[in-house]
Amino acid sequence: MSEPDSVADGQDHSLDPRVIAMQRITGGLFTAAISLGSLFALGTALIVGDDIPGAVRVLLPVGWLVLVALGAWQAYRWPAIHYRYTSYRVDEEGIEIRRGVYWRVVINVPRSRVQHIDVSQGPIDRRHGLGTLVIYTAGTDHAKVELAGLAHGRALGIREHLLPSGAGDAV
Amino acid sequence: MPSEQRLHPATLLFDLAGHIKRFAVPAVLVIFGASQSSGGPGGMFGRVPSGWESWLLVMLVPAVIISVARYLSFRLSYDQDGLVIRSGLVFRNERHVPFKRIQNIDAAQNVFHRFFGVVEVRVETGGGKEEEARMSVLPRAAFDEMRRRVFTERGSVVPEQPAGDVAPAEEAVGETLVHLSLRELLLCGFLENKGMVLVGAAAGVIWESGLGNRIMGQLFGGSEALGRSFFREVMRGIFDGGPLPLARMSLGLAAFIAFLGIVRIISMAWAFLRLYDFRVTRIHEDLRTEYGLLTRVTATVPIRRVQTITVRAGPLHRWLKRATVRVETAGGAGARSAAHVREWLAPLIRQENLPTLLQGVLPGFDLAAIDWQPLHPRAFARAVKPKLILDAIVTLVAAYTIGWGAIGVVILLLPWSIVSARQYVKHLAWAESDEMVVMRSGWIWQQMTVARVNKIQAVAMRQSPFDRRAAMARVRVDTAGAGEFTRIDIPYLDGAVARGLHERLAGQAANTAFKW
Repeated sequence: MSEPDSVADGQDHSLDPRVIAMQRITGGLFTAAISLGSLFALGTALIVGDDIPGAVRVLLPVGWLVLVALGAWQAYRWPAIHYRYTSYRVDEEGIEIRRGVYWRVVINVPRSRVQHIDVSQGPIDRRHGLGTLVIYTAGTDHAKVELAGLAHGRALGIREHLLPSGAGDAV
Repeated sequence: MPSEQRLHPATLLFDLAGHIKRFAVPAVLVIFGASQSSGGPGGMFGRVPSGWESWLLVMLVPAVIISVARYLSFRLSYDQDGLVIRSGLVFRNERHVPFKRIQNIDAAQNVFHRFFGVVEVRVETGGGKEEEARMSVLPRAAFDEMRRRVFTERGSVVPEQPAGDVAPAEEAVGETLVHLSLRELLLCGFLENKGMVLVGAAAGVIWESGLGNRIMGQLFGGSEALGRSFFREVMRGIFDGGPLPLARMSLGLAAFIAFLGIVRIISMAWAFLRLYDFRVTRIHEDLRTEYGLLTRVTATVPIRRVQTITVRAGPLHRWLKRATVRVETAGGAGARSAAHVREWLAPLIRQENLPTLLQGVLPGFDLAAIDWQPLHPRAFARAVKPKLILDAIVTLVAAYTIGWGAIGVVILLLPWSIVSARQYVKHLAWAESDEMVVMRSGWIWQQMTVARVNKIQAVAMRQSPFDRRAAMARVRVDTAGAGEFTRIDIPYLDGAVARGLHERLAGQAANTAFKW
């Protein structure tokens, strides 16, 4: 209303680049948790299990190392790929979100169908100044449309734009 | 203006009470069970230090921490357009609910609530599945303020909404759109075959009550092995060229046919009772449905709440030139706003009357004038591939288990896969107009779904890796209360066509206002 269309420019935008670093951190934490858990299980199995053949005793840790290395590589690489294939566009009519690396989807939610909107921030989001926009509609498959990895201020701006404003826009 | 409202401190008390209530029953069971079993040295828990019961309270700690965090972080405030709810200490969430979208505000107040002067408030919008906001508990004054703000705002914004609803108060004689005569009624029962459901239920009851075994015993002359040896004989007859037990086979066949006949008759009786004198009348902008012999049901559906219409016809329906019509509606303002209901518009209708009925519900919809668009020319190649892969797997498994008999499996599966894929693609088509989007599908059971553009909630275009290789895409139209089988989801579209359709539908939806 007051500052017209700072977000509704009808251009395709990428997410905030900081999302890559942020997702690497979450992915890294996740991988670390899984590796430590499985390392613990593996260690216990090797110590307790006396009847495990020698070859398996060597192969198991090697397999573990390979899997952890792959997980770490994936946690490092995936956010950049994901970033490249995610974009959004806000215009007068509503919002269009594109995402998906292999399975791609383009979702359009018209402004007039938005029921209510959340902007949420986790602890790591907050450190990086990011936020997630969650749009609720009265639909079935797309009752809840999420867009994570926006700059927090931008998420707020999009929310302001999408919500029905005052008396200007009668239903 | 930013008058922030927190939860009432009594929230902690009520939360705690709630946790204890939920916790009490299992706790009592555990204590009771343990005191019984640990009486002797061989108890389930062995020797437990006395007073261990108090340690059970530790299990309450996470719940209490969550409650405290919620209490400390919750903030309710208002901006000029809606209410703002902030919550979460670690994962922070800020929810904006526009006044316009609020369907109703529920408040519950039990005796304890009244003692503290608080209420439990629930705010509902039309949003799909989750509840929008539950505030437990707010001071009474805060609730009054919310109600005042929400309803004054809404009152100033949408004055015409209630007026339009109240106006046609006088009872009017509407035009009858559908009426089932006795003959049609019985035919409907015959085609619906609801009897199978009843038989299934009855079989379940008989089985559960242990009567089943006795009846089976009676039927098969007291020996269970008889049934099995019968099948073994048949199998041997087919595969090893032994003598076929023809007499018993024909007897079994006759019994089976008789069973099917009885089921159909039960189904007709069901239709007679349930759908007796089925009648749909259109009164102004409402559809009134009446049916039932013993329980007479009358339902009124405002036409503007119809989200999608689905016409279905099985092989028998088509042979008899009939079809069934259902509508998907979404509840409006008032209680249970997000309840979606599927209702009969016509359990059975002659196909020649179909256009008139559809026109009555969707003004301007001309069934004959639909310009059906086919799928991508290479859709068949795409549709048949997954089936062929599945066939290959089944054949391999068969070859592994029954050897050369797998050839028979291939002979059966392969033509079926090809024919069904071919027919599936051939019968799938879509059409669009300024107000509607239509999709038809199905080969043996054919169906057609119509959605009004102003009921579209979101439009999505999807591309799997296979789609991208073939430059295809699928378009899915999301409406309120779309069922698994009644949604519009068009696969194997040409990429450019899909993009165009997606953009047009999104644009049209954006230019129409959604009303419940």
